[in-house]
Amino acid sequence: MEYKAPVEAYTGVVREETIGKGEKALKLGGENILPLHFFDEGSNPNPPRFALEILDMKPEGWPEHLVEPFKDVISDPVKWAKRCEDFGVDAVFLRLVSTDPAEKDSPADEAASLTKKVAEAISIPLIVYGSGDDKKDAEVLPKVAEVCDGMNLLIGPVQKENYEVLSKAILDHGHKASALSPLDINLLKELNVKSCHTLSPDMIVIDPESAALGYGMEYSFSLMERVKQLGVIVKDSMTQMPIIADLGGECWKTKQAIENKEQGLLWEGMTALSLLLAGANIIVIRHPETLKLVKETIGGEIWQK
Amino acid sequence: MIVIGENIHVIAKVVNDAFKAKDAKPIQDLAKAQAEAGADYIDLNVGFLRKDTEERMTWIVNTVLDLVDLPLSIDTMNPVAMEIGLRLCKERGRKALLNSASGKTDSKNEMLPLAKKYDCDVVISCINDKGMPAEGDSKLDSVMDTVAYANDLGIPNERIWCDPIVLPASTAGEGQKNAVATYEFVEMLPEALPGIQSLVGLSNVSSGTPIENRELLNRVYLVILARKGLSASIHDALDEDMMKLCRGKSQNTVDLIYRTMDGEDIDFSSLSQEEINYVKTTKVLTGETLYSDAWLES
Repeated sequence: MEYKAPVEAYTGVVREETIGKGEKALKLGGENILPLHFFDEGSNPNPPRFALEILDMKPEGWPEHLVEPFKDVISDPVKWAKRCEDFGVDAVFLRLVSTDPAEKDSPADEAASLTKKVAEAISIPLIVYGSGDDKKDAEVLPKVAEVCDGMNLLIGPVQKENYEVLSKAILDHGHKASALSPLDINLLKELNVKSCHTLSPDMIVIDPESAALGYGMEYSFSLMERVKQLGVIVKDSMTQMPIIADLGGECWKTKQAIENKEQGLLWEGMTALSLLLAGANIIVIRHPETLKLVKETIGGEIWQK
Repeated sequence: MIVIGENIHVIAKVVNDAFKAKDAKPIQDLAKAQAEAGADYIDLNVGFLRKDTEERMTWIVNTVLDLVDLPLSIDTMNPVAMEIGLRLCKERGRKALLNSASGKTDSKNEMLPLAKKYDCDVVISCINDKGMPAEGDSKLDSVMDTVAYANDLGIPNERIWCDPIVLPASTAGEGQKNAVATYEFVEMLPEALPGIQSLVGLSNVSSGTPIENRELLNRVYLVILARKGLSASIHDALDEDMMKLCRGKSQNTVDLIYRTMDGEDIDFSSLSQEEINYVKTTKVLTGETLYSDAWLES
């Protein structure tokens, strides 16, 4: 008897969302198959995207081998962003760490005008994250949204403590929201439901929290899988958003990555590759050589159908 | 549906304070209110009762027995307290339910024999030495072993009530799975173990969910379980809407929940907000839509 492989056709579609403006605006998501299930009916119109992370101040505690590709520009976020673009990445991810009250507690105005300068200096889209301090982010990010009016940035992290004020600013000034919840499918859905009181669902990207290889990555992995299954198979409208995997920072905190360059690249690369397999639509990493490594590994157009 | 009123439990501050101070009135008030609301049993959840076990157990059991004619569900993990409760009920010619025994070795050795000794009904939960089985059929496997053990002690199936253990539906990822596994267990039970009744501690399904929506979750889950053949439920006997559901007086609500369970595509435009909430909650408890604390909002 001839074997006929089963072919599935699902009716759920991950929303296709665009960040940035102009020629190099990026489309995320849009798939109606599970990650890499190219044997099923359906398509994945957009390949995985990559962002390189920069900080708004000179990083402290980064190992020499991570600083090296940027060492002449690392005190200047604008130049640093342009350097990232030169490496051929799809987007720049700016983290406003200096605004953290535990860091420099730098003011919202300053962060907003820097964000605008960075966004204007590059032709690729900008993703901008606050420090993660929910109270301070509620001051900083609305200012960023306002100053960068109409630039269609991806702004985060929108969290359960500050979604109301952030959603409103993001809506009013024409941006997208990255909604962060702490590794929990039910909380992830709740935050999306609540954010949708203000935003339309196609303005939200899911940040499910990405842990590094050896430090809980399997939780992020299974959570992303679950989000895709619910969105594509079960058609749960509140999980049908593209996923961002913000993993570079977590990887470069590990002892293994700090110890030496080869380990660092592999640590970040393996984490990135794994979370792509789980369904992440855009990956945030720090080292340009990791970018090259992962892109070579997955090969050009193979992840698109 | 046999309703076991849960309102006298030591986690409630008013009960705990009264119990400590041996103040009979708050406890008798609760017992009386539950009896008037139509409860079939009064659950006495006394905790482990490590200190002054005999004296305190005797006091609380007599306090309730003096006032109401209903059978008692003696709810403690302490076999010494359990025996006191069962003995007092027997002496006073009152029916009692041993709540509960399990497949754990300690429980088999110390709790189960009390059901034989005092010739009372006994709750057997699906917990065993390995913990709590997650799936409907593994829950059943676990309970079948314990029931066989009980049968060997001379306790017939007709004396046994099985508890599949309800867990919070809100528990990340696994909560809804357990909600489904629990009603699957209830459905499979009569065929697997003829003569045995099923019982759940209902309110646990809504533990950890926003307080304003807990009752809704409890009510809908009760209707689902009842449809699957549940014999008895331990819950808030003072919730009037719940009581109406148990007594078949809210047929419209029950029908709506059944239609949702059967996969009917229900048109919200013809429903009241309350009815919409029943539909949404049914979908959460049958695992059709993913739980979130905001399940009524999406």
